[in-house]
Order: sequence, then C-alpha cells, then structure tokens
Amino acid sequence: MAGTETVLRLQGITKTFPGVRALDDVSLDFARGEVHGLVGENGAGKSTLMKILSGVYQSDAGRIFLNGARVSFKNPHEAQLAGISIIFQEFSLIRGFDVADNVFLNREPTRGLGHMDKRLARERTRKLLSEIGFDLDVTRRIEELSVVQQQVVEIVKALSFTASVLIMDEPSAALTDKELRKLFEIIRTLKARGVTVIYISHMLDEIFQIADRVTVLKDGKVVGTRTIPELTKDDLVRMMVGRTIEDYFPDLGKSHGPVVLEVQDLARAGKLSHISFDLHAGEILGIAGMVGSGRNFLARCILGLEPWDAGLVRIKGTVRFCRSFREAMDAGFGYVTDDRKAMGILGRMTITENLTIASLRDYLAFGFLRRSRENADARRQVDQLRIRSTGIAQPVETLSGGNQQKVLISRWLLRNPEILVISEPTRGIDVGAKAEIYRIMRELAAAGKAILMISSELTEVIGMSDRIIVMRSGAIEGIIDQHDAKASEEQIMSLAVGHEWSFAGGGTS
Amino acid sequence: MTGLSRVKRLSEPHLLVWLILAVLIIFCAAASPLFLQTDNLGNVFLTQPVGLGLAALGQAFVVISGGIDLSVGSVISLLSSLAAGLYRAQPGLSPVVVALFLVALGAAAGAINGLIVVGLRVTPFMATLATMSLFQGAVLFYAPRTIGGIPKSYRFISDGLIAGVPMSIIIFVVVIALCLYLLRMNRLGKHIYAVGSDPYVSQISGIPVRRVRFLSYLICGVLVGIASAYMASRLGGGGPKVGVGYELDTITAVVIGGVSLAGGSGSLLGTFAGVLIIGVFYNIMNLLSVNAYLQIVLKGVVLIAAVSFYSKRRV
Repeated sequence: MAGTETVLRLQGITKTFPGVRALDDVSLDFARGEVHGLVGENGAGKSTLMKILSGVYQSDAGRIFLNGARVSFKNPHEAQLAGISIIFQEFSLIRGFDVADNVFLNREPTRGLGHMDKRLARERTRKLLSEIGFDLDVTRRIEELSVVQQQVVEIVKALSFTASVLIMDEPSAALTDKELRKLFEIIRTLKARGVTVIYISHMLDEIFQIADRVTVLKDGKVVGTRTIPELTKDDLVRMMVGRTIEDYFPDLGKSHGPVVLEVQDLARAGKLSHISFDLHAGEILGIAGMVGSGRNFLARCILGLEPWDAGLVRIKGTVRFCRSFREAMDAGFGYVTDDRKAMGILGRMTITENLTIASLRDYLAFGFLRRSRENADARRQVDQLRIRSTGIAQPVETLSGGNQQKVLISRWLLRNPEILVISEPTRGIDVGAKAEIYRIMRELAAAGKAILMISSELTEVIGMSDRIIVMRSGAIEGIIDQHDAKASEEQIMSLAVGHEWSFAGGGTS
Repeated sequence: MTGLSRVKRLSEPHLLVWLILAVLIIFCAAASPLFLQTDNLGNVFLTQPVGLGLAALGQAFVVISGGIDLSVGSVISLLSSLAAGLYRAQPGLSPVVVALFLVALGAAAGAINGLIVVGLRVTPFMATLATMSLFQGAVLFYAPRTIGGIPKSYRFISDGLIAGVPMSIIIFVVVIALCLYLLRMNRLGKHIYAVGSDPYVSQISGIPVRRVRFLSYLICGVLVGIASAYMASRLGGGGPKVGVGYELDTITAVVIGGVSLAGGSGSLLGTFAGVLIIGVFYNIMNLLSVNAYLQIVLKGVVLIAAVSFYSKRRV
C-alpha cells in the first residue's frame, strides 16, 4: 500500500433526505496515493457520500479535512479548486466543445479582456495527456469520442486542477475489457504521482484488481475498511450484505394459478438479451440486479414504454405487442413506478382524483364524471388499504410516503388488473408502512393477481418473492425458486455482480 | 493537422445553408429576369439585409445562450420613432450623438429583458412576449403614426460612402467581425455556448450562468440598438410599424442558419446566410408579384420547414 499520510479525513458525516437517513455518522480516512475502493449495495450511501465530498450536496453534520485543514464546498467547482475532483457516471462535459475547451472550461487561459489563448489551452491539454500516456487529438469534439476517451478527458480535467483526490463513480460501467485495462493503467500512473483515487464500483473483481484498501458502506453506515491482501471476496460480500431477513415479511404464497404472462427471448440491442420467464397468477416474482442491470428497462419494454427488437410477450396465452402504455393497460397491466413523485402521484390533486385517474372511463355518464361514484369508490379503497388521511379530499402530496404508495396501488386496483408491476415498492418508506405494503402485496397475490416486483433491496426481494430473477448486464443470470429454500443475499449478489465468481468452495478466487 | 481541420470546422455547420442560398439564387435568376439586374442585386445583398442582419446577430446571441427574444421588433419601432422625435425637437443634433443614444437605449431594453429573465426568473419566452407588448405599447403611446424628418446628415449612416464603400456595408462588416470575435475567440462567447448547451455542467464548472444569460440579452440589445439607428437612417424616419415582423424574421434567420432553438449550437455566419435567404425570398416574391399577405403565409411555411429539417437532423 502507498504511504500512510492521511490526505483526506471525513468525520461524522450525516445526511438526511426526507424520510431517509442516507448517511449516518460516517468517518473515513484516505491516504495519499492510495486507490481506495468504496463498495456497498444499491442505496448504501456511496454516491451520497461522494456528492458531499465533491460539493454537490452539503452534509447535515460532520466535518471534512483536506491535508489537515477543515474544508467545505458549496459546489463541485470549489471542490475542484481545492483539489478534489469527481467523475460522475454522467460525464460533466459540454458535448459540442472540443477536448481542450472542456478541460479548461471556465479557466480558459486568456491574454487580457477575455481574449482566449487557445493554443496554450491545447498545449497544456496535450501535455497532461502525455503525462498519463494517453493519445488523443485535443481538437476533437466530445460527442465524437468513445466513453473511455471521454473519461480520460474528465481525468485530464481533474489533473489540470492539480487534483490530490480523484473520485470515480462506477467508471467501468460502459467500458470494454480492453478499455478497462487502459483505465487501470492510468489509475496506476495517477497513484504513482501521489493522487488518491476513490474508486466506487459494485464490480468486486475490479476492486480486487486495482484497490489498496476497500471500505464497505451499508445503510448509510461504515461497516469497515480493510486492506485488500488481507481480504477474500467472500469476506467482502459478507460485509456488504450480512444481515438476517427480518420477520415482518408475510408467508409465501401456497399455490399458483395458470401462467398469465410469458416472456420469450425478449431482446433489445445493447440493453436486453434473451429474456425468458413466466409469471403465474397468485405469484410474486421478484427481479433483482444492480442499477443498470436492465431490471427497470425490462419492465418498461413489457409495458410498452420502450420498443424492443425481438421476442414474444404472451398475456394469458395470447401474443400481445404493446406499443404504448395505454395498450398495456388495456391488456391487463398496472404499473407502480419507482419514482413516486415524478411518475406516480399527482401531488396537488386529491386522494379521490389520484385514485380514479387511470379509470375515469368507468365513472362517465353521458360524458360527465359522476363525482358521487368516484367518492364512494375512493372511500372504499381508503378503508380497505387503511390509507391514513384527513379525508378523501386531502391533497396527496401531504400524505406520508407509505400512504402515497397505497394510493398508487389502489389506483391500479380500481382497474382490476391481472398483472401488477411494482418497482421499488417501499423506497423511501418507514419500516411500519413497509410491513403494510408487503401485507397488501401478498393479499393481492392470494386474491389471484400476478405481481412482478423490481427491487434494489435484497431483504425485500428474498422476503417477498416466490421466485427471484437475478439480472446482470441486460440478461437473466438465474431464476431462484424460494419454495424449497430461501435464497441467501450472497447467492443473489454473486449472480448480480458476476457469475465468474462462485461461492461453492468459499475460496479466494 | 489543425490547419485543415480548422478550415473544415469553420465551414461545416453552415456550408449547407450557403449551398441552399446558392440554389435559391439560381432559381431566382431563372424565375425572373429582373432578379439579376444590378439595382436589384444591390438592394437584395447590400441594402436590405443590413437592418435585419444586425438584429438577427443579436437574436443569435440570445438563442445560443438558450433564450429567445420576441421584443426585437417592437424595440426597433420604438427606437426609430424616438430618433425621429428627437430630430423633430432638436434638428441640429449630431448624428453621432443620436446614434449612440439609440445604441444605449437598445442596451437598456436588452438589460430589461435580461433582468426579467435572470432576476425575476421568468422564462425567456414569456418575459420577452411581455416586453414586446410593453415596447409596442410605448411606441404607439409616444407616436401613433410614422414620423419623418430625419436630416440628411444623419442619413449618412445608411446612404453615405467612405472611399466608395457604402456605410451600411462598413457598419455591418465591423459589427459582424466584432461579434464573431466575441463568440469564437473570447471567453464570454465560450461561456455563452456552454450555458446554452448545458446549464447544469456550466454551473458546476463555476460559470456564472445567470450573468452570462444577462450579458447575452445585453449584447442583443446593443445590436438591436445599432439596427434601429441604421433603420431610422435608411427610412428617414421612425414609426410603430418599422420593426413589425422582425421578431419572427430574426428567429427564422437564426433557425435557417442552423442555430438550435434549444441553445448551445449554431454560428453567426450561418445566421447571416439565413438573413440573405430571407431577403432573397422576399425579393423574388415581390418580383413575381406574389400577394403580400400570401408572402406572410409562405414565411410561416418556411419557418416550419427549417425547424423540422434541423430537428430531424439532430436525431
């Protein structure tokens, strides 16, 4: 490992978003010239932590020390000036500008009165590129570059600030193996120059290849920091998941009805390949996988929200091509999205209006809405699902997250769908309300509905699903039937992060 | 390496627009024998495009920064009327003073637009729709009818010659050269492109996004002020109808020239080609005696065609 001199120290960093404690008293040290891996499940708080470090967010509590001095950043530009740069998954580059213009954006070398010295910017960019041993025409525009080239531009931009800390958020997500090797080479060069690289990834193989130390985050807390040679992958995964399934999950379904949804060889270039599965009436089928594994994209394809290239979707034995969500609704789908606020509730409208919005046709008489029938149905739903409110006229945005979620589920129940697709059913909901949502979902399944549940929370997937589909890179890595024995989080994680690595021997790879 | 690629890049975005202009000219020459006559050519390429061209350059700055300015036309009407009114009250005023006064007023109008957009956070479309009404109302209140009486000394601005070169050309060449410099070689221009292209990235790069937006409206105002000073000279007066249609014509020119209404891309030379295309289009309509109202209909069609053409190319 590199030197032990601490370049960056985090102390008691805490950050709360409405309803969620994203980071809880996180303290961490980063040494000069080390590559420090940061891992954790989806939602463990990795990205939030890095956004605080780079000035995108401000922490509610806690302190950051850079080279021993306390710092706080109002925006990423300030962080960069201080020597902390972050490379997001979504690059922060102006696509129409050339390489040199991007590297020196807002720090354009000038010769008085804003007259730009383009030659100087290009010269400096070339020099930085040659320092990390990468060949790139600095006059090419970003939109003409490959992903790894764009990444290099970000790295060079960071170096131009004389970066002492460089944060990379899932840098390998869109890279080929060859490009990844090139990236690792560059990271080693940076390391040799004394730059500290914080490498966020859920590809554990990469962490073992490139990192000196690794820190595991879980539920917004630090589980621990370990030195790589002392650690096996098994240990690491155990640190990431290690928790028992809580007992607030209802029992699994006893018997399933006929197949209602059958997906055969569904494919979309670059996104999904050979997706085949079926879903029975009365069943809850969970889909697990990391962010970007295609979980939600698959759902959107089936629901007519994204086109696909090949494959068949049968609903109750009949082939259906839903080209719009409207058609999917008519085919018997209901869809509770993962983003309640943006793609779910109509915040300022009442509970009644939110409930009936997807089935207004049923409330029409001679072209007029029958308010009394709407209200009657709304009251019934509020009672049945125990939606806690001051009345059916309450604006939905003033309800708690759990009750908003119940409203969204009820919205579809009014249409009596055969298949309910629910993405992240309990995101941002407190524990008590979670249990209620789980109970409702199980009751719906018992009443014969088929439920496709997409979730980032492994405990939820294991606790709720009759069967679990694990996806990785747009393909199904495995389907686990939970009736014989419950899956372990390790089992799902190993499928989700890479099949080349097996737990069978418990070995060290 | 850079020599060739620089030439290529300079020409690439608006090469197509100049090509369209060339095709249009050939068509016009074939359609009407009057088109190629020296008087007509001088009119189409030297006199007519200057006013619209100056205003369109201003519009281009605003659109590239991600905004839009619908008040261009009414500002021109207002300022030309003020020039004429000023001369009516004080016939002896120096043309330089009057011209500078108009440019300052144009800058003030641009500053008002910019402050409403940046300070009050009103969307550019609504802000300038409102100021369009404001300025148009002001000119009608001040002078409901056309005012003449701009003296000969002032009319040197549009009609004069220096060493045999028309003043209008000198003004336009100087202004477009300055604008080209500002957008291409100056830091501010880089930031205008950056803000129009991606405000979020600009912001996290520390670019003062709001200031840049304000400055693009201010620059637009200055250019519209110069356009007004020129128009008052060319027409020998001012009035509420002088700038009518300019908001639409400048936007059309900008769009034909390849400036994306989404901001962040496009060039001034393309915009200039767009101005010439519009000029030639009007001219051939007149030469072919197309009904004046029908011309307005056709202008709408051209705008739709241009916008849809570019939106297809983007995807």
